[in-house]
Amino acid sequence: MRRAERRRSPFAWWHEGALLALLVALLGIASVCVPSFLRLENQLLLSRHLWEMAILAIGMTMIVITGGIDLSVGSMMGLCAVTLGMTYAATSSIAAGCLACLAVGIACGALNGLLITRVRVHPLIVTLATMAAFRGVAEGISQGRAYSRFGEPFAVLARGGPGGVPWPGVFFLVMAGIGALILGRTAVGRFLYAIGNNERAARFAGIAVDRVKFGLYTFSGLLAAMATIVYSARFDTAKADAGKGMELDVITAVVVGGTSIFGGRGNLGGTVLGLLLIHETRLFIGRYWKIDELRSIVVGILLIASVLIYRMLARTEDRA
Amino acid sequence: MGVRGRRTRLPRSVPSWFRSGHRELGLCLLIAAVLVGIGMVDPRFHSTGTWNDLLVRSAPTMIVACGVTLVVLTGEIDVSVGSQMAFLAAILGTMVSRTEWNLSPWIGLPATLAAGAAIGMLNGILVTIGRVPSIVATLGVMTALRGATTWMMGGSNIEGLPDALTRAAKQGLFRAGPPLGVVVAAGTAFVCYLLLHHMPLGRHLYAVGGGREAARLAGLSEIRLKWFAFAVTGFLVALATIVDVPRLPKIEAGIGVDFELLVITCVVVGGVSISGGRGRLGGVLLAVLLMTLIRPVLTFLEIGESGEKWAKAVQGVMILAAVLSDRAASRGVRREP
Repeated sequence: MRRAERRRSPFAWWHEGALLALLVALLGIASVCVPSFLRLENQLLLSRHLWEMAILAIGMTMIVITGGIDLSVGSMMGLCAVTLGMTYAATSSIAAGCLACLAVGIACGALNGLLITRVRVHPLIVTLATMAAFRGVAEGISQGRAYSRFGEPFAVLARGGPGGVPWPGVFFLVMAGIGALILGRTAVGRFLYAIGNNERAARFAGIAVDRVKFGLYTFSGLLAAMATIVYSARFDTAKADAGKGMELDVITAVVVGGTSIFGGRGNLGGTVLGLLLIHETRLFIGRYWKIDELRSIVVGILLIASVLIYRMLARTEDRA
Repeated sequence: MGVRGRRTRLPRSVPSWFRSGHRELGLCLLIAAVLVGIGMVDPRFHSTGTWNDLLVRSAPTMIVACGVTLVVLTGEIDVSVGSQMAFLAAILGTMVSRTEWNLSPWIGLPATLAAGAAIGMLNGILVTIGRVPSIVATLGVMTALRGATTWMMGGSNIEGLPDALTRAAKQGLFRAGPPLGVVVAAGTAFVCYLLLHHMPLGRHLYAVGGGREAARLAGLSEIRLKWFAFAVTGFLVALATIVDVPRLPKIEAGIGVDFELLVITCVVVGGVSISGGRGRLGGVLLAVLLMTLIRPVLTFLEIGESGEKWAKAVQGVMILAAVLSDRAASRGVRREP
């Protein structure tokens, strides 16, 4: 009950407000330092690096809201990429490749969901295991081979789009809109927050916790497959190392966006702001200082600082 | 003691090492089975060279796993050990390499150890005083340290470590006997074993992980204990760096990538509960041996072109098997609603 009241209190928007202010400040400084930085076509061109991460972040936000975590998204991308490549090599039909890729993604996510709900082990452990397993299977069956040259119509998927916005971006916006609606306006969304706040209480309140979680991890697998398609189209290559380390980037964005790693708090708006902030920070550092290594230092500090500051504010509010 | 309290189904006459050792026994049997199996397929596997190599390879994992076990027992997690190792290797290399500052190892080694402890303390401060969830804090440190390492190295590798270090890492301290890493790993494991299972401090760590509120009421300082665990981990990573990195021909920025996952895998397979308060060091040590066995065995079996490529898949299956066997063993004992 207290949580619910807090969500309505002005404090709930501090985090988003602070992120937005930070983002505006960063863009302001960037446009002064690098005048061409804010040009729309530049931004759209460079946004390619963002979309896979953004697509994965939708599912990850929901999972973290339930108090879980999915470490296996990057590895699922590896397995999906190998599937896509092998199916394409066997049938030379890109549609078949994409379908197989989606099927494998859903199957991987369902496996995660099954293990988490049936065996009742912490998602961190289950997805740590499947993270190793999916990547290992991808490396094992492909033996390190790379599949490429998927043909022009597939590559256009990453480049073209309506009004300069690439198709992955359009797709992300649609999915994020649906996700925000689910989280904010539907019973399932409230179930997710309830599970994150107190899973046992949610169970006693009659929520089909297992079914919700199973669906959620399966959804995450589906998103991983979609991210793979975007990724493969962008590089025109599918290899077992697709999406390596992606899970950590995605979790960073979700946490910077204000979603509590313990669950029960957060929303997609914050995640989008977190994604943008990290993305723009990286771009700006890359453009201005041209020191790539500085990016991960800043992102690491940003991650810690965002939670640290939030904790401090929460502590003063607790006292009040 | 709550740590062993759940295993009361065996009669009292069973020796205690057996009673408290379902996981250890299982791992022992599994390791024995793998060794016997590979021996039957190809007896050449059991040579002094392979065994030596196996122990040397397992040494850094074992040293660091001891520290991470402490952290996980208190209910926290440290995912930054791989990046810490790279960062400390860069520090060590920069200080003692002939082509860099060319300082004496007597300055370089203590400095590396101090740096490791300092990073561990930083993690500890963030988690305890800053109240940042440990997975987030150490994830941030992991990212930042990896960046800092690449920056420090500036795209080049560090070569020319002092011969004394390389020799100690490869051939042992006195040109004979076991390599330094194996000795240090055995020593670390022994000290941590004493600390965890025969000293009040160890029980306090279990207590904090088992129930923080109860531990607080019993007068234990959660902040100090967790801080201690993180600092020890940082120190041990530095130790592992010192004994293992000089074996390599050169120091690269990519050292220790995925190392944190390997270590956490070992801790989990070794039977330590990720929510803290349960598990024993013996299981973790055996799990380290088992995990180190995977790659050599797969390479030796020569499945196809490179059986090694399946190593990660085997690793994942191991974690799942460990978790499932845990569940099967505790079925009916504890059932959540």
